[in-house]
Amino acid sequence: MRLLLVEDDRLLAEGLVRQLGKAGFSVDTTPSAREAVVLGEQEDYRAVVLDLGLPDGNGLDVLRKWRTNHVSCPVLILTARGDWQDKVNGLKAGADDYLAKPFQTEELIARLNALVRRSEGRVHAQVKAGRFELDENRQSLKMDDGVEHTLTGTEFRLLRCLMSRPGHVFSKEQLMEQLYNLNDSPSENVIEAYIRRLRKLVGSETISTRRGQGYIFNAIP
Amino acid sequence: MRFLKKPASVKGTLLALLLPAGIGLMGVAWLVHGLLLDRMSREFVESRLKDEVAFLEHQIRDANGEVDTLQTGDYFQDVFHHAFAIHTPEQTIISPDTWEPLLTPLIENEEDGTVRVEDAETTDTPLDILAYRKSFQVGETPIVVIVSEDLGALKRSQAALHAWTAVVSVLLIMLLVAVLWFGITMSMRPVVTLKAALKRLQDGEISRINVQSPEEFHPLVLQLNQLLDSLDQRLERSRDALANLSHSVKTPIAAVRQILEDDTRPLDTNLRRQMVERLSDIDRQLEAEMRRSRFAGPQIGKSAYPIKQARDLLWMLGRLYPEKSFELSSSLPEDSRWPIEEHDLNEVLGNLLDNAGKWSSRCVELSVEQGSGFKRIVVADDGPGVNHKDLASLGQRGLRLDEQTPGHGLGLAIVRDIVTRYEGKISFSTKSCSGLRVFIEFSK
Repeated sequence: MRLLLVEDDRLLAEGLVRQLGKAGFSVDTTPSAREAVVLGEQEDYRAVVLDLGLPDGNGLDVLRKWRTNHVSCPVLILTARGDWQDKVNGLKAGADDYLAKPFQTEELIARLNALVRRSEGRVHAQVKAGRFELDENRQSLKMDDGVEHTLTGTEFRLLRCLMSRPGHVFSKEQLMEQLYNLNDSPSENVIEAYIRRLRKLVGSETISTRRGQGYIFNAIP
Repeated sequence: MRFLKKPASVKGTLLALLLPAGIGLMGVAWLVHGLLLDRMSREFVESRLKDEVAFLEHQIRDANGEVDTLQTGDYFQDVFHHAFAIHTPEQTIISPDTWEPLLTPLIENEEDGTVRVEDAETTDTPLDILAYRKSFQVGETPIVVIVSEDLGALKRSQAALHAWTAVVSVLLIMLLVAVLWFGITMSMRPVVTLKAALKRLQDGEISRINVQSPEEFHPLVLQLNQLLDSLDQRLERSRDALANLSHSVKTPIAAVRQILEDDTRPLDTNLRRQMVERLSDIDRQLEAEMRRSRFAGPQIGKSAYPIKQARDLLWMLGRLYPEKSFELSSSLPEDSRWPIEEHDLNEVLGNLLDNAGKWSSRCVELSVEQGSGFKRIVVADDGPGVNHKDLASLGQRGLRLDEQTPGHGLGLAIVRDIVTRYEGKISFSTKSCSGLRVFIEFSK
């Protein structure tokens, strides 16, 4: 499995190359952000380990460039800052996991394997309906103006169900089945609460209520 | 009003407002004074002329209409300082003689009462006179008496008086300016002392502001002192933290270095393990102190968006634990704000959710609610929970209930610290089938 390691500390990089090699990865390594952008776009890596603090740029910018150029391999970011906002920003920029320095090599390898497994199983699909695009990998909703909204698990499942067939009436019972495995004793209020929250995101005219029948997603262009 | 919108200084604004107002009022008073003076003097002159006519009439009646027997000549003029005319069918007496061209038309006019003659086209006579004419009969003889006064002279003295009033007004305005200046300076004195106190504070001469300030400045001084207190506290805390840190970090560094510098000593597995342990100690200490020193505590002018931040964190954890579900339950609007520093709230939510994510088997639920006077965060997971006897000690420093899954340790201790700093309450509960429930309430 080919892996790109972007890390500017030579000692750490050398150690990691040895250990990752032992774990079955063939590792390319670079200390610079500029080179990392090029390598990521040219080569076909199964996973990337990306350090955020690089001498010639920010790792997050590298990541954003890759993602805008449709480089979709899983990326694990290494950061020395344990700030929650940093982690959120890293994942929003397109990372799949993060690990705070210092870390144990076993943990890095376990996470990388998990990422590779996950990426093989995932369906590269976006659900589009009207002005909205649902990103299944990132579990997020993209508006036509480019703004991305993060969704919780249930919100995402519910919206995916509604958006999969725009104009189709989904009864509360049907929708509840989508959430059933999450809440042990779901009540109809739960659906109403989630619909309310989704309407706040997509606008109330997009999800309309058919009295006594259920809900419809209107694909308004 | 535009020039008042951005006052450069309180003093300037007050002067700019009060001075024109004072001058304007003074001007109006002066004008009114002039008008009143004019009216009053006219009424006064009129009544005096009437009196004099009545006196003359009385004299003439006493003399039985014999006008010649009256003491004429300069007598009346001396007594009254006025010109007069007495007309009988036989003769006409006008004194002084120069007024004759003015008064003769009035005698012929045959109309009694007050008459005003302005711009008379005669020479050697006043231009503007006021006269009172009365006709009566003594026996069979009709007699006309006119007394008149030169209004020009009156006006001149009036004008002089008015001018004097103006001079006095100007003096009063100058006095007003002085009083205003004095008043403003007096009332601004606390600001000046405050400024001086701040300067001394900056120079390190004093450590707290202790000024006899008027009531309006009490909150300001109080806030400033609170700000200084919190600065002091922060400095003290960071010094303590650094002292603790260097104490607990330098020793393991010394140990590791000592081993590495000794090239005669072989690095066996045991020694390597010990060195890694030392380095892990350093990392743990660093991490703990850094996270502790990073949170801000209650601060003026800082607020967080609980729903937005919660959403981001839930989404992130959902990505990190794709097999688990992270849910938000809240009725707050997306853009509601809480008076908690953003990073602090992130730390509370992040640590709680991260812990819950590690321990849960399928589902984590975050509930963010707000009522009158309270703000509540509840994080519930469906993991194995915690023993009842351990609940009270959750989040205490240095306690770690589980070594395998890192969590419920440092994170909860930080959460507890932050909640305490915001004077909130934190409590834990666990049920046999529902995992751990962390309940946080802020009263502010």
